[in-house]
Amino acid sequence: MGGIELRNVQKSYEVDGTLLPVLRGINLHLKENTITVVLGRSGCGKTTLLRLVGGLEKLDEGEIQFYTEHKTAFVFQESRLMPWLNVWDNVKFGLNNKADNTVFIQNSINTVGLKGFEKAYPHQLSGGMQQRVAIARALAYEPSFIMMDEPFAALDYFTRSQMQRELKHLQQKRGTSILFVTHSIDEALLLGDKIVMIEDGEIKSELTIEAGSKERNLLEPEFIERKKQIQNDLGE
Amino acid sequence: MRTIKKTKPFIGIGIVLIVWVFVTKFEIFNSYVLPTPTKVLESFFKMLESGELFEDIFISLMRVLKGFSIAFILAFVMGTFRTLVPSSVAYYEHILEFLRNVPPLSMIPLLILWCGIGETTKTVIIVLASFFPMYLSIVKGFTSCDGRLLEVGNVFGYTDFQKFTRIILPSAMTDIIVGMRIGMGYSWRAIIGAEMVAASTGLGHQILFSQQMSRTDKVIVGILVIGIVGILTDRVFVFVLKKLWKGSEEHGWN
Ligand SMILES: Nc1ncnc2c1ncn2[C@@H]1O[C@H](COP(=O)(O)OP(=O)(O)O)[C@@H](O)[C@H]1O
Ligand SMILES: [Mg+2]
Repeated sequence: MGGIELRNVQKSYEVDGTLLPVLRGINLHLKENTITVVLGRSGCGKTTLLRLVGGLEKLDEGEIQFYTEHKTAFVFQESRLMPWLNVWDNVKFGLNNKADNTVFIQNSINTVGLKGFEKAYPHQLSGGMQQRVAIARALAYEPSFIMMDEPFAALDYFTRSQMQRELKHLQQKRGTSILFVTHSIDEALLLGDKIVMIEDGEIKSELTIEAGSKERNLLEPEFIERKKQIQNDLGE
Repeated sequence: MRTIKKTKPFIGIGIVLIVWVFVTKFEIFNSYVLPTPTKVLESFFKMLESGELFEDIFISLMRVLKGFSIAFILAFVMGTFRTLVPSSVAYYEHILEFLRNVPPLSMIPLLILWCGIGETTKTVIIVLASFFPMYLSIVKGFTSCDGRLLEVGNVFGYTDFQKFTRIILPSAMTDIIVGMRIGMGYSWRAIIGAEMVAASTGLGHQILFSQQMSRTDKVIVGILVIGIVGILTDRVFVFVLKKLWKGSEEHGWN
């Protein structure tokens, strides 16, 4: 069995002297070469879950087991670019080695549609563009496992659709495993091979969508049906 | 707009000059207490001609640069150490706090005893005076680094040292440069004090010597020269730093 296994993952934060439980025992298997989407309303603990898997936060209880060695990248909810580096150098930032990665960096920048902005500094870009630089930074790193925290939330509708297609395409081409956090049901349905719905720090339900290589159309009856199901599960 | 902006400083200087001329013309002050601008200018040119002024400027400048450089290296190394080994702070913070509150000039009697009236004493005084502003600025720059950027280093597998050189150091650049400029200013103040007590050369000595000779005009020349040289060193300094870290100001090192 490959992938990443979460067993009874629990996490609380202490706020003002009282313990605030955020995750109350998550059991989840992240399969190789698939996109697992974590879906839930804001404040339900998605970021916390991602940070735990990424090793940025310590577990209170439970364990996270990596069955496969991974080169992991993380796309934060905010772009977190180095303000003193231009786009090119920010994308290069993850490549922690001296090798010549020129082609690689350029490809990543092109993928996120920022060709021509290589010399621009973060403060000269819009929020959505900054976020795309952060995505390029993660892609250039050539990870085998990417964690993404609402990476497209700051993008306009058109750019978002394009980025979603690019990501899906890239994932299929490279065989990357992705753990993708979103609060958008449509985005979950477009991208997810498996969708995990979280509510009140627990997994409310799971949904698997059979991998098909053709682009998904959310207006098809089966997707409309699934969307209704999810809305129902999340108590809308 | 531009020309107005450029002339404004000269208007300020002009007003000071006019008041000076006025006050001396009507002999509100004795010419010994406040010599006329022409007298001061005359002495200035005489001192230029004889070369003594250049010599004093040069000697003081060299002392300042030496003491400043030592202080900066010390401040940088200690600031770096404090950042990389935060647990060490408790051992020396009170000692540093104490030394920071001791005016360097009050150390002169001891320093003369220990180091003589040679260059060492003057260098030590400059180091003592300019170390703390630089150290505090550097530490502030290092410790105020955004933790969220450091996490980016974590997720890309940076070592502590790499995080220091690629995230902490560049994000502290503004504070470091501010600290260096303040440190330079403190160096100038300290050297003048030191040269007044323990020297036979330099601008500080020149002022004190002129006082003993009752040459108020030369005292004023000394003061003006110190102020101008101070401004010029700051300007050159900023210019050099800007060249080194091109575009840093616009793109926010902070
Ligand atoms: N460092 C922290 N300290 C205290 N509470 C936190 C911290 N991080 C998150 N929380 C709380 O945990 C809950 C879940 O947060 P988060 O995982 O960011 O949610 P989501 O990403 O789903 O919007 C929220 O109620 C939030 O206030
Ligand atoms: Mg979040």
